[in-house]
Amino acid sequence: MSGRREHPMTRAVRPRAGARPVLAAALGLTLVAGGFAAWTGQAWYAAAHDDSAAYAAERDRALAAGEQAVQNLNTLDHRQTDRGLDLWESSTTGELHRQLVDGREEFEGQVKAAKTVTTARVLAGAVTELDDRAGRARLLVALRVTVTTPDRKSTDKDSRMLGELTRTDGQWKLSGLGQAPVGGTATG
Amino acid sequence: MTATRTAPETEPATTEETGPEPRASRWRTAALATALTALLLGGSAFFYAAHQLRTTPSARNQALTDTAATARVGGDVGEGLARIFSYTPTSSDAAERSAGTVLAGRAARQYTELFAQVRETLVAQRVTLSTQAVRTGVIELDGDGARLLVFLDQVSRRDEGAPTTAAAQLTVTARFQDDRWVITDLRTR
Repeated sequence: MSGRREHPMTRAVRPRAGARPVLAAALGLTLVAGGFAAWTGQAWYAAAHDDSAAYAAERDRALAAGEQAVQNLNTLDHRQTDRGLDLWESSTTGELHRQLVDGREEFEGQVKAAKTVTTARVLAGAVTELDDRAGRARLLVALRVTVTTPDRKSTDKDSRMLGELTRTDGQWKLSGLGQAPVGGTATG
Repeated sequence: MTATRTAPETEPATTEETGPEPRASRWRTAALATALTALLLGGSAFFYAAHQLRTTPSARNQALTDTAATARVGGDVGEGLARIFSYTPTSSDAAERSAGTVLAGRAARQYTELFAQVRETLVAQRVTLSTQAVRTGVIELDGDGARLLVFLDQVSRRDEGAPTTAAAQLTVTARFQDDRWVITDLRTR
């Protein structure tokens, strides 16, 4: 009823009246798009705060740092003992670190006298335990160590190592390292 | 009903002729289009980011994150290796039979070849070998495929001689089939 009374006015707005279904469709589309954004947003939030993904990432960080540290500790050039031993110290923490610092001079003397170059390559490695909160982990590493003596003879030795990692200041470092015992005789 | 709702809005139109009215509608269209675009772009960005997060190699690798599956594959592989690499002169057939259920693919072929070569020696020299997986680490676990690093202790004994212990390290590729993990590839490290 009122519509009929305002008829002259609506004439001016005729283009809008024609656009109304379009407007409604656009509004609907926007709502759907809003729903889509809300859904993907929460999916992203869930993925970004996924505990197991964070744990997996920490596992891989520990493995990478552990493998590198094991390799570092099995690498030493008698011509560059300072650099090598500094790297040993920066790759370790805790008890192992103390042992290395304490034995540094003696070890340096031995390597300089023997004139050996030792390099190592990690063949495979795996994390066997990871306590994400406490910042502790254990890993297995299969390692090939090559020792070159002054007469340029080099020998390869494969070894299997057990490492213990501790996270300090957000970085994983070796706090223990030893050969995996063979035949029940504990060596490390 | 529609007319009553538009009535207040159309009032300016009567005073200022038809000019501002299409402009307001154009504004509204532009705002809607912008909102729509923003929402679609944002939604797509979230979708892509979530997909990226879920499919990183790190997140796909379930080693340790799925503790039950990690323990299962480690147990199956360790036990399998112990069975196929343990034999006595009288029961070398048993080891070979176990190989049928434990190994598949390349690993099975390697094992058959190896066994054919050493069988006579084993029997002639009365060799006893017992193998134990002392440490098992899962490198990668993705659904029904896995790679492991295994440290083995092998005690061998020739006839009545003194036993000797050897250490071995292997990387093992395993596949989950018929409700158990079978070893498809073995490489000494």
